[in-house]
Amino acid sequence: MTSQPIIRFETVTKTYAGTAALDAVDFELYPGEIHALAGENGAGKSTLCKLIAGGIEPSLGKVFIDGSEATLKAPKDASQLGISMVYQETSLVPQLTVAQNMMLGRERTFNSVRRVRNTARQILQRLNFNIDPSQLAGSLSAAKRQMVEIARAVLNDARVIIFDEPTASLTPEETEHLFDLMKTLQDRGVAIIFISHALEEALSYADRISVLRNGRLITTGPAGRFDRADLIRHMIGEDLTPQATPATALKRTAVPILRVENIRMASMVNNMSFSVFPGEITGIAGLIGSGRSEIARVIVGHTKRNFGGGRIWLNGREVKYTLPAQAVRDGIAYISEDRKLDGMFDNMSVAQNIGLGWMAKFGRGKMVAPLARMTAVARDWSDRLSIRRIGADQSVIYLSGGNQQKVVIAKSLAQKPKLVIFDEPTRGVDVGAIAEIRQIIRSFAESGAGVILISSYLPEILDLSDRVLVAKSGTIAAEFTREQASAERILHAAIH
Amino acid sequence: MLFFSLFVDGFANLGNFKVIASNSAALLMLSCGMGVVIISRGLDLSIVAAMVAGAATFGILTVAGWSVFPAFVVTVLAVLAIGVFNGWLIAYVEIPGMLTTLASAMVITGFFRYEVLNGEYLLMLPSDSRAVQLLSGDAPAILAVLVFIASWLILRYTTMGRVTYALGDNAAAARLSGLPVRLTTLGIYAFAALTALFAGLVVAAASSTVDFRIVTNGSLLFEAILVVVLGGIPLRGGRGGMRNILVGLALIAVLRNGMTLLNLTTQTQDMFKGVVLLIAIVIDNYINPRDTENDTVGDL
Repeated sequence: MTSQPIIRFETVTKTYAGTAALDAVDFELYPGEIHALAGENGAGKSTLCKLIAGGIEPSLGKVFIDGSEATLKAPKDASQLGISMVYQETSLVPQLTVAQNMMLGRERTFNSVRRVRNTARQILQRLNFNIDPSQLAGSLSAAKRQMVEIARAVLNDARVIIFDEPTASLTPEETEHLFDLMKTLQDRGVAIIFISHALEEALSYADRISVLRNGRLITTGPAGRFDRADLIRHMIGEDLTPQATPATALKRTAVPILRVENIRMASMVNNMSFSVFPGEITGIAGLIGSGRSEIARVIVGHTKRNFGGGRIWLNGREVKYTLPAQAVRDGIAYISEDRKLDGMFDNMSVAQNIGLGWMAKFGRGKMVAPLARMTAVARDWSDRLSIRRIGADQSVIYLSGGNQQKVVIAKSLAQKPKLVIFDEPTRGVDVGAIAEIRQIIRSFAESGAGVILISSYLPEILDLSDRVLVAKSGTIAAEFTREQASAERILHAAIH
Repeated sequence: MLFFSLFVDGFANLGNFKVIASNSAALLMLSCGMGVVIISRGLDLSIVAAMVAGAATFGILTVAGWSVFPAFVVTVLAVLAIGVFNGWLIAYVEIPGMLTTLASAMVITGFFRYEVLNGEYLLMLPSDSRAVQLLSGDAPAILAVLVFIASWLILRYTTMGRVTYALGDNAAAARLSGLPVRLTTLGIYAFAALTALFAGLVVAAASSTVDFRIVTNGSLLFEAILVVVLGGIPLRGGRGGMRNILVGLALIAVLRNGMTLLNLTTQTQDMFKGVVLLIAIVIDNYINPRDTENDTVGDL
């Protein structure tokens, strides 16, 4: 590691709408090292990677590549410098063949099908990947798609490869294989960055580990210097005391508030059945693409199920919603996993956001908007959830992630729902607010309402759920009580 | 403004300002409708077609001997039908608003010119008719102020207005929160058609004709959009209000009048207006920069 760093960040800052996603970070990457990035959701790992792979430019600070300052305006600039990124949700074009995907962006004006295929085959064989280059990318499994992405990076003579959550959708065997491959690449002098939530992976495979928290680089060092507890302490900034939230002692009433039977929706949900009981939190765990969010969207009428694709009962009455407004009227609220996409109104204030949520249910059919009531309700809810805002009229886009999420939750709770589906309620939320949000969910369930909690963060599922369902390729693969549930069991059910 | 008053003779006198004001009445009403649509992150390209269709319907009915009031009621219903149909296609059939309104503009103009006017593009109105007399003098200005106040009240105080902002800000979130997005879309396009009707009546009364060429010429539609954007309402919707319409109207009226006094041809004027719109959009993009992380597919 005496050589010159291939990538060097000098006090790089990236701000989005006033909030720093990355704050004065100094970072170095050397040729031939495997560098793991650890940190909670929203700590700035993805931002750091995007700055390297060229999707975005830093607001302040400098990026040096091979010792000279570089401006990476587009992903193309980065790939010309030999930097490739392997995305979590793979970025292959499903309608093209494996070979075409690998050549994407570097085609000649006239392409010979055979030449493209042969080049692709050579690379795939060199890497020992058992993939037919003329297969359509859309027909590949998640693991194989990832292999194609890696092959593409190798084809581009990548000197730096960034893996964003490479093992999230892989089986243990495939994971093992992936890390073997990383070692091979490393021996050729390729520098590798990988983001992972599984700390064991970082500890056992990486040469160096960097921990990010709230946009700051907290520490960097050889992997041997850390152990699991160290990493967690750096990640959250305090010792993780195992939270022993007592399971709710509410006796389960015999009648489920929601019963879902054999729901089918396109290729995403495949015969899913489960029940939700009032007063308890039903957790749904599962990998991305296992159909957990999709079933929630079918329940609230956001997405249409297949024709004849199953039945849903709410409090014993069969319901079939074609619009979320109907579900809201019946007291079901869905809190989306991506608040910026379909959760909140960016340009509106806290009060306007919450007021609109209340109006959606209680202002129905009124011509004149009950503005005074809306403001009062909004004030009440922002006090109850202790939403901290700077100015009364400030747009929610300028609030911290945690406060934004609380606004979105308040917007739905103001509708006095009987059943709330929380989809990834603490994604992109600052550490301090996570505990508050969990408390909100817990006390809402204790008030006797039904709660579905969808999360890919297992500690959250384990901490909150009274019952854990595991979704896998569109069905419920397993169900655990609070006592039975453990991270290993859930993962096993989600993957195998 | 300063430029024109300094260098163009006759710009700064009082009579000229009166002309600016009355010419602007119709444009103000059109821009009110267009503004509401744009705040909801839509674009109504059929607004001028609805305007001419409304005026033609009213003209034909009164010429055929109907008295003013029943003719007016029937016209309002006809124009509302146009708006509701637009809104229905956009909200329920889920066709993009720009395409829907572009198509309906074609259908409306085609229908009136070939089915009603037998291929003519002009409908002459007797200048001594009662309707024309009703709309002379200060009536256009009063009507414009009423339409303006109505738009302001709707945007600010009604459920429909609040949902309009929600739609423009984040339509997906509005839908998921359970807000009445479909009904509101219907209302927005119906309201736009209604403002167009009043604009059409004012223009028709002033010239005693209904001229279908203003639809195909496109200049008026362009000006309505220009007023909204110049006033500072982003095409991305969700922000701005009637205040912005006034600002935009003042700017465009000054620009239009100044260019006329400079003896520029209409073609040159169009060119200038196009350049001004482009500059306004560039400035808007600069003030409200796109965030690549939040952009969704199909963003303007």
